[in-house]
Amino acid sequence: MLKLNNISKSYNKGEVKAVDNLNLEIKSGEIFGFLGPNGAGKTTTIKMIVGLLKPDEGKIILDGVDVWQDSLRAKSMISYVPDNPEIYDRLNGIEYLNFIADMYGISKEERTKKIEYYTKLFNIEDSLGDIIGSFSHGMKQKLVLTSALLNDPNLFILDEPMVGLDPKSSFNLKEIMRKMCNEGKTVFFSTHVMEVAEKLCDRIAIINKGKIIALGTMEELRAHAKERESLENIFLELTDNE
Amino acid sequence: MNKLFSLIKTDLNVTFGLSSILYSFKAKRQRWQMLLFGIAMLSLIPTYVLFLVSLEKLYVSFRQIGQQSYFLLTGFLGSQMIVFFFGLLYVMSKYYFSNDLMHLLPLPIKPSHILTSKFITIMVSEYLTSIPVFLPFVIIYGIKGRVGLLYWIYTLLALITFPILPLVLASIVIMLLMKYTNIKGKRDLIRTISSILFIVLILYSQLKIQNLAQKAMLEGKDFYFNLARDANLLVRNLGLVFPPSMWGALSLANYNKVIGLTNILMFVATSIAGFALMIFLSERIFFDGLIGNIEVTATKGKDRRKDLYRVTSVKKPYLAIAKKELKMLIKTPIYLMNSVGGVIIGPIIIVLSLFTGEQSTEPLAQYLSSNMDIVILASIGMIGALGILNSVGATTFSREGKNFWIQRTLPIKAKDQILGRVLASIALQVLGGFVLIGCILFIIRLDILSILLILVLGLIASIPMTQIGMIIDILRPMLNWSNPQQAMKQNLNVLIGMGVGVLYGGALIILVKFMLNKINIWGIYSILTTILFISIIVFSIILKKLIEKQFREL
Repeated sequence: MLKLNNISKSYNKGEVKAVDNLNLEIKSGEIFGFLGPNGAGKTTTIKMIVGLLKPDEGKIILDGVDVWQDSLRAKSMISYVPDNPEIYDRLNGIEYLNFIADMYGISKEERTKKIEYYTKLFNIEDSLGDIIGSFSHGMKQKLVLTSALLNDPNLFILDEPMVGLDPKSSFNLKEIMRKMCNEGKTVFFSTHVMEVAEKLCDRIAIINKGKIIALGTMEELRAHAKERESLENIFLELTDNE
Repeated sequence: MNKLFSLIKTDLNVTFGLSSILYSFKAKRQRWQMLLFGIAMLSLIPTYVLFLVSLEKLYVSFRQIGQQSYFLLTGFLGSQMIVFFFGLLYVMSKYYFSNDLMHLLPLPIKPSHILTSKFITIMVSEYLTSIPVFLPFVIIYGIKGRVGLLYWIYTLLALITFPILPLVLASIVIMLLMKYTNIKGKRDLIRTISSILFIVLILYSQLKIQNLAQKAMLEGKDFYFNLARDANLLVRNLGLVFPPSMWGALSLANYNKVIGLTNILMFVATSIAGFALMIFLSERIFFDGLIGNIEVTATKGKDRRKDLYRVTSVKKPYLAIAKKELKMLIKTPIYLMNSVGGVIIGPIIIVLSLFTGEQSTEPLAQYLSSNMDIVILASIGMIGALGILNSVGATTFSREGKNFWIQRTLPIKAKDQILGRVLASIALQVLGGFVLIGCILFIIRLDILSILLILVLGLIASIPMTQIGMIIDILRPMLNWSNPQQAMKQNLNVLIGMGVGVLYGGALIILVKFMLNKINIWGIYSILTTILFISIIVFSIILKKLIEKQFREL
């Protein structure tokens, strides 16, 4: 479903290689966790998939569509939730959601149903008439999540989605991810929270200095580790050695 | 004191992006952009040369009546006015709406220190905008008048200090306005309306004073005698609009006399005293306006929640983009004042300046009525010019700022981006068009056909103008801003757009002038419309290519 072929990206005239010849293949119906220390290349990789950063080399293919060749088609299948929810703070919540829904061409019935469902689930339904500037970080995050779920994406990409969410919303989000996978969609997210990755992900990749240093199911990662230990220890062991 | 220097340094760095300029010089991709930028800046030169030539003529005409000191006054008044009016906008956004205030407020810094650092940054911006106006006046006067060294020393002093006083006045006005309009609810709206009213009021009273002084001077029995006897007569009378400008002009005009010394001392001393007064006031009133300003009202109640189905409406993508653009323009006070304020204040000033004069507008009306074609063509030109003057097109992508990721990750066609953003700008041109026609109707009668011609052709003419702005903005969008003012008023794209717009509009004007009296007026309208439509199509193709490329690569 999502294929990253020899993706590279560097900054400062090639002095800093943020992502170095990365290859990944993620199947439909999979929850994929992307782990790595700060500055490892997680956000850069994610931005290349969603069309915010052009790779220097390589191809990204989503369901047979080249993300950078046929970007409109690809974008209509993807939803992206960034790590920092910077959104139009002078609009009110419902105006923002309607704007996003218009861009995806979602019908009135469909969007009303979805907005009602997700804003209730994330407990922001009463704030929809307020301007986004009055929202807390977590509320903005929930609004972005809601907007990203309006178009029923085939690929749901989230950068550090649990940051700023309250425990209940974070639980709900995990449920949503699970449900999407059961429907055959793909969820790709980066995180620092080992526990979430350990419990939720079908497969995990650990990236460091732009390269994938470990990839597989939790069991496979454990098998490669010195002792059968927690993901946290595996992570520390791998990223320390680099 | 160290705190203050550190604040000033950081604020200058953040505002002018010094660190990021250094950073971007390292990137290869930025270089061709720099080159393009240079070429675009060059396009401003013809306009500026035209300005210099007309200034020189102005000097000669004042010298003929022995009142060349009035030429200096015009320079002082003009540049100090620019500083004051730009200052009102700069001050409001910089003191009250910049993002860094949220980080500065909790730190143990005195309000006067925050204000001083911001004042200095604004001074730098003001130098950049007003020195190109100020300098030619003093240089032309100096060279043509073969002045001595002391003149240039005084000029240097005046050059450093001339923005201080108008900026101090702007700061005090805005601080008072913000303190007393800090009312929950419709705060932004109240502030915008009161600022626009204030600007209109100031302009009106300026024109009125000027007019009264002029009348009083002309009515005096010995006007011509006095004119010949006193080389500073015009300055002394007409400088009353803003006495510091008068002192500035008098000091340079009389640099070799004692009166020159006393005037330059007064000029500098009032600037310093004004600054001290502002600092003194800031300790008392700055935080009053600011603290409430950061609060944002949230209802937190179910009563505000409207029926979801009712407020949910489906729109075509380009309409949704236009609606969002307009909403953001209207809801952000800085944008509202720059764009909407701009399109309505212009025509109002024209009418005001006609009506503050005691003389009748009858001769003007007669002249215009007998040249209806020119009136219509000029009005079309004015509405067309609004397409670039309202700054909406030339900042449309810059205004997205940190929110730019939203539209880059959504499946939006370039065609919808162009259409939506052009529509938002046209909405403002429609408003400007109505105000303009209203103003013209004050002077002469227009029939329905003329009104329709002005509106329809004016709006069509405004589209390529808006597109020129958009092309420049997508080439070098200014996305990294911490204060909406930077996206709109401190955005060079607006200036470059105006330069290119002048070239494009100038070419059209020359063409029309050439055709006038040679071809039937309807022939001119049809040729003009055809050219405009071809431009719209060509610019749309260019924009489509650029949007697709830049949305991918930025």
